Amino acid sequence: MLNDNKRSRALLYVGIVAFALFAVVPYYWVIRTSFLTNIAAISPDTGFIPALGKLTVESYTQIWDRFAFVTFFRNSVIVSVAATVISLFFAIPGAYAFARLDFPGRKALFYTAVFTIMFPWIVLTIPVYEVFYFLDLVNTIVGVIVALSIFVLPQNIWLLQGFFRQGIPENIEEAALIDGHNELTAFLRIVLPLSWPAVAAAALFAFLTAWNNFLWVFVLTTDEEVRTATVAIYYILGSDVLREWNVLMASLVLLVAPPVIFYGLSRRYVGEGLGGTPG
Amino acid sequence: MARLELDDVTKVFDTSAETIIAVEELNLDIKDGEFIVVVGPSGCGKSTTLRMIAGLETVTDGEIRLGDERINEKSPKDRDIAMVFQSYALYPHKTVRENMAYGLHLSTDLDGEEISRRVQEAAEMMGIEDLLDKKPSSLSGGQQQRVATGRAIVREPSLFLFDEPLSNLDAKLRKHMRTELSRIHAEVGITTVYVTHDQEEAMTMADRIVILDQGKLQQIGEPKEVYHEPVNRFVANFIGSPSMNFVDVELERNSDGSGTLVGEDFSYDVSSRLLQPLDSGTTEVEFGIRPENVTIDPDAPTEKSIETTVDVVEIVGSDNFIYLDLAGEEFRVRTPSEIEPSEGETVRLTFDEDDVHLFDSASGESLVHGLPGADVSATAEQSDTTAD
Repeated sequence: MLNDNKRSRALLYVGIVAFALFAVVPYYWVIRTSFLTNIAAISPDTGFIPALGKLTVESYTQIWDRFAFVTFFRNSVIVSVAATVISLFFAIPGAYAFARLDFPGRKALFYTAVFTIMFPWIVLTIPVYEVFYFLDLVNTIVGVIVALSIFVLPQNIWLLQGFFRQGIPENIEEAALIDGHNELTAFLRIVLPLSWPAVAAAALFAFLTAWNNFLWVFVLTTDEEVRTATVAIYYILGSDVLREWNVLMASLVLLVAPPVIFYGLSRRYVGEGLGGTPG
Repeated sequence: MARLELDDVTKVFDTSAETIIAVEELNLDIKDGEFIVVVGPSGCGKSTTLRMIAGLETVTDGEIRLGDERINEKSPKDRDIAMVFQSYALYPHKTVRENMAYGLHLSTDLDGEEISRRVQEAAEMMGIEDLLDKKPSSLSGGQQQRVATGRAIVREPSLFLFDEPLSNLDAKLRKHMRTELSRIHAEVGITTVYVTHDQEEAMTMADRIVILDQGKLQQIGEPKEVYHEPVNRFVANFIGSPSMNFVDVELERNSDGSGTLVGEDFSYDVSSRLLQPLDSGTTEVEFGIRPENVTIDPDAPTEKSIETTVDVVEIVGSDNFIYLDLAGEEFRVRTPSEIEPSEGETVRLTFDEDDVHLFDSASGESLVHGLPGADVSATAEQSDTTAD
C-alpha cells in the first residue's frame, strides 16, 4: 500500500521519465537514422528500433567519400581552437582589469562589451562584411578566426570578470604583493593558477560558441576550402540532390561529437569555475 | 626591528562621485618593539592607515618612515613588513608549509634548509606542526588564523601589521588568540601595528592605543591613560564597556570654589579641587561617569546622589548590568551580582567625585578628570608630543 508521500514521489518519477523521453527521443532518432541505409531511413517498415541487421556505417563512409568533410572538420577545429585561444588571451587581462582596476570609462566599456552579447548580430553582417572585404580577409581562415575571436570575446570577459571579482579575494593578491611579488607576477603566479577552473569554463563556452557559429562563417566564406562543418551541413541540407536523411544525420552526429568530447574533458573544471570558488 | 613614524599622513580617496578624506594629518611615533593597537569605529581610517604603512594604498600627503627611512614610494615587497589579514588570505592552492615558506622563497636568498628550519620554528611557536602538509581549505578558522600569523612570523620582518586578525573567530577563541598574540609579541619583540574595532582587544594587548575617529587622531596613550584620562567625549565613550554615561548638567558655583552639578532631576555637589582647573565662565558642561564607578546605596546623602528608576537588569554572572532611566536618557550601572534591583524600582545611585569626568558641552573636549594623572602621569607627556 503506497502512502501519500510515496505515491506523489512515484508520480514525480513518471513525469520526469516522460519529459526525459520527450527530450532524448530526437537525439536517439538522429543516431538511429545515421546508421541506416538511405532507403531504410525513409521506410515506414524500419520501426522505432531497427533490426540489428539493418544497421550500417555506410552513411559515415559516404560522407568521407562524397564531401570534403575532412577539410570542414579541420577548419572547424582550427578556427574554434584559435578563436578560443585568442579570445582568452585578450579576455583574461581584460576581465581582470574590469574586475580590479578603476580607470576612466570602465563602466561604459564593460557595459558595451556585455551589450554586444545581447546584440542581434545579423544586423551587423553587411558592415562586418565590408570591413573584412576591405581588410582582404573574406574567404580566408584567418578572417574566420578573427571574426569568431571577436564574437566570443565579450562572453569570455563577462564570465571571467565575475570570477575575478568574486572568486579571488583581493587580500590574496595583497598578501602576494607583501610576500615579494609585483602586480604582474602576483597576477601570473597567484591569481592565474587559482583561476584555471574559470578559464576552463570560459574556454569551453568559447569553443562551443565558435564551433556552433554559423552566421559569420556563412557570411565570410564561399569556398569549400575555408568552410567549417557547421556551415557545410547547411550546404548538404540545402543541396538539390535527393535528400539523404541518413547522410545528413551522420554528419550531424559528427558535428556534435567534438563539442561533446571537449565538454566531457573539461567538465571537471567547469562546475567549479561557474561556482566562483577558487580551486 | 625598527621604529615607525608617520608624519602628517593624509589619505584622500578621489572618486568621480565624491572626495573622501579617509585619514587626515596623522602623526605617530612608534618605538622599536612597541605593540600599538589602532582602534576606532568602522570608517575611522584605521585600516586605511595600516594599508598605507603596508604600501597597499598610496599616501596622498605626508611621510611614512620605517627605521628612519622614507618608505612612501617603496612597493610592499621592499618594505620589510609582514601582514596578517582579517580573511587570512592564505594561498588556497598551496599547503601550509608552502604558504609559510613562499615569502622567504620570493624575497630572500636563504637556502631551502634554512627556510624549512624557520618554517618549522614558526610552526612550533604557533602549534601548527601537524598541519604543515594540509591545504588551507581543510583547516578551521582558528587554525587558518594561526597559519596566517605563522606566515608573518617566518619572515622576521621589521614590522608586523595586523588587520583585525581575530574578527572572524568566535568569542572564546578570540580571547585565547589575544593572549597568544601578546605572548608571541613578547617572544619575538617585533614592532607591531594592530588594527581592531574591539576596544577590549585594544585595552588588553596594547602597549599604547591609538584612537581614530573620522580619519583624525583622537588620542594616543597607554591603555590606563586612555581609560582614566580620555581627551574627549569620543574617547571616553569608545573605551570601556559598557560605555561611559554622559549627562548634560549646569554648573553652579559657590563663593568658596566648590559647586553643584545640576541636572534635570538631580544635583551633585563637587569640591573646589575638581573645579579648580575649570575656566570660571564655564557653566554648561557634560559630566561623565563610568558604569563600574557607580554604586547603588540607599543611604547615600542627597547632595551626592541621583535617584532614578530601574529599566532593565541584565545578569551576566560575574556582574549585573543595570539600565536606568535618567530624565529619558539611558544610564548604565555595573554592580556586583548580589545587587539585583527589580525592574521599576527606584534606586539611589552614588559615585566618587574622583571618578567624575567633565567635558565641554559644545566641543566635547575633556575639561577635568576626577583623578588627574593619578597613576598615568608618566605617559601623559608622550601623548602631548604625539597627539595631533
